[in-house]
Amino acid sequence: MTPHRATRRAALAGTLALLARPARPAGTLTVGLTPVFLDSDLALLRDLDAYLGQATGLAVRLMRRRTYQEITALLLAGQLDAAWICGYPFVQHAARLAVVAVPLHRGRPLYQSYLIVGSGHPARRLADLRGTTHAFSDPDSNSGFLVTRYLLASAGERPETFFARSFFTFGHRNVIRAVQAGLAEGGSVDGYVWEVMAEREPEFVAGTRVIARSDWHGFPPVACLAAHRRAPTVRALAEALLGMRDHPVGRAVLATLQLDGFVPAEPALYDSIARMSAVVRAQT
Amino acid sequence: MRLVLPPSWPLAVRVPLVVAGLMVAVSLVIGQVVLHRLAHDQERHVADLAAAYLDGVSTAVLPAAIRRDVWEAYDALDRARARYRGLAIVSAVVTEPSGHVLAASDPRLFPVGALLPEALLERYGPDGRLVIDEAAELAFLARELREGAVPVGRILVELDIGALIAERRAVRWTLVGVNAGLTLLLAGLGVMLVRRMLGPVAILRAHVAAGADGPIRPVDEAVIARQPAEFAALFRAFNRTAQAVAEREAMAARLAAEEKYALLGKLASAMAHEVNNPLGGLFTAVDTLARHGDDPAVRARSIGFLRRGLADIRDVVRAGLVTSKGRVGEGPLTRADLDDLRHLVRHEIERRGLSLAWRNDLVTPVPLDRTMVRQIALNLLLNACAASPPGGCVRLEARVAAGAFALTVRDDGPGLPAHARAVLAAPDAPPPGGGLGLWTAARLAAALGGRVTPADGAPGTSITLRVPVAAGALADVA
Repeated sequence: MTPHRATRRAALAGTLALLARPARPAGTLTVGLTPVFLDSDLALLRDLDAYLGQATGLAVRLMRRRTYQEITALLLAGQLDAAWICGYPFVQHAARLAVVAVPLHRGRPLYQSYLIVGSGHPARRLADLRGTTHAFSDPDSNSGFLVTRYLLASAGERPETFFARSFFTFGHRNVIRAVQAGLAEGGSVDGYVWEVMAEREPEFVAGTRVIARSDWHGFPPVACLAAHRRAPTVRALAEALLGMRDHPVGRAVLATLQLDGFVPAEPALYDSIARMSAVVRAQT
Repeated sequence: MRLVLPPSWPLAVRVPLVVAGLMVAVSLVIGQVVLHRLAHDQERHVADLAAAYLDGVSTAVLPAAIRRDVWEAYDALDRARARYRGLAIVSAVVTEPSGHVLAASDPRLFPVGALLPEALLERYGPDGRLVIDEAAELAFLARELREGAVPVGRILVELDIGALIAERRAVRWTLVGVNAGLTLLLAGLGVMLVRRMLGPVAILRAHVAAGADGPIRPVDEAVIARQPAEFAALFRAFNRTAQAVAEREAMAARLAAEEKYALLGKLASAMAHEVNNPLGGLFTAVDTLARHGDDPAVRARSIGFLRRGLADIRDVVRAGLVTSKGRVGEGPLTRADLDDLRHLVRHEIERRGLSLAWRNDLVTPVPLDRTMVRQIALNLLLNACAASPPGGCVRLEARVAAGAFALTVRDDGPGLPAHARAVLAAPDAPPPGGGLGLWTAARLAAALGGRVTPADGAPGTSITLRVPVAAGALADVA
């Protein structure tokens, strides 16, 4: 499967979601989550749900989908009050989306993309991965796809010709799993996820090795439709996120995520991603 | 079994061995049936599990195969590995219709995009059929993935059936152990039982063996009472036989004694006749002496006559004394011992109008019991007299030649009847109903270590006593 085919499929899913358009019940806060984070941790989701419920006084619905595109489509369709999405879809739909809050990781709202290989693999840089099997996270992921795609485009290469084979795993954890198991020789993964995993489950990343770290880019934001930016639910969510570090349950959630808190941010935080996106789009 | 076990082996060994052999054969058959059934059940169990696994994995993998989604295919295989704990999956591979690997549970072994080795593909049978490689302890199962009628790939799973093989091996050894134990136990019991069952046979054998050295001793009634019915009946039959044999032997002894008395009677009669014969002449000589004793010539003639007559009487009496009083082992056989017999048979020869031809070639004593040889010779001579027609001739020849003493008596009779030949051929057999002369001669010859053999003369019969004589003892025999 190629990234382009996956993008088309996601676009189709988004269109279908638009057509369906079920009404959101009043007094609820519906937040979309992407596999950017540790979405497999059910305890974390429960705590996040509990915190947001307490902090906003609204009934919280956390919606999870397999791909970024599905969540982005739901957000654009107005099915969600807000969604924790990646910077890449944010810049793709910058005209329609607004930043609710951005997480702070190690004190900064920034993160990197890591290029990883199996621990026994001899590659030392991206160029060494020519002709190998490569695992991407998601076609709408900045760290899990766009950064590598951009680096290749900068060198006049394309993933489908540079790599012998590439595929999407739709999750940063899955990229690490794929590289560790040997399914892929290399992978593009969210640096934040890799670091958190390295700390929480060292044996999980033990079979992988980081061979390249990208520039710093804006951390995946919690975004909403620009049109809903001042809606009460969105404002309540923004306040809850910004006050998260002041609340014990919120602190527990942040501790699990290894985040320092949430801060407001301007769309300019994602300019670097927008530039890469433009380069890639120009090649296409 | 007769082909395998030597007939000389005792029943107490052969029967348990046969039982053990049968047990081994039965346990082999049962073991094979059990193992075959176990293998069949195990294979069916593995096939069912593997099919269930493929059902589940195929459902999960099919969409991925249709989209050629490497990760989803791998994820499905990886998750299924943990879910199907009953199966030891060595590897599971999803291939594209082209045969290239889409994903494998062990991607390092089967990298994405690689072609599966031919050697591996050959180990799989037709899709859907479980192939078991017992030596490698592996099982292989493949299934085609289809979307409707369109093939979208193939899923191949390799299973480790080491646990099943180990279980089968454990069952096999358990069977072998239990069967070997049972076989040994039954063989041991067989030995004990057969020995116990053959106990009466040992008793019977001891009684029969004892009969060789003396009279057959019947089995005690108390012993019989302890035996099983069949053996009790056998023992009673044996006792009846022993009793019959004892009675027959007693009768034979009595007949022999009677024969001896008859012989004595004949001897006494012959002696009386021999003594009586000269008595008339002696009395005449005494009368002559009484009347004409003054005449020296008459006196000398009468005294000479008296002397010869008395010498004849003395010879007859001496021969009778040796025959009747002689005891076994008294001394070696001399020429005179045989010549004496002439006096004993002369009366019978004359009474029947026969003539006696006597050729005694013995020069020095022969180391044989004189009494027994004389009895044999006398029996043969009297038998020959009885067989010869009037005017016939009875001949005796005695000599030592070729390391044996040989004594032959010939007659002009009609030949030896069949029952008499049978008596000579089997001196150990019970005595015949008729005359005991030849039977006694044959038994005495056997006791001397020789035998009496008949030969047809022309005309008449010739009967020879032949007894081997030790070489050293013959050195001084002419």
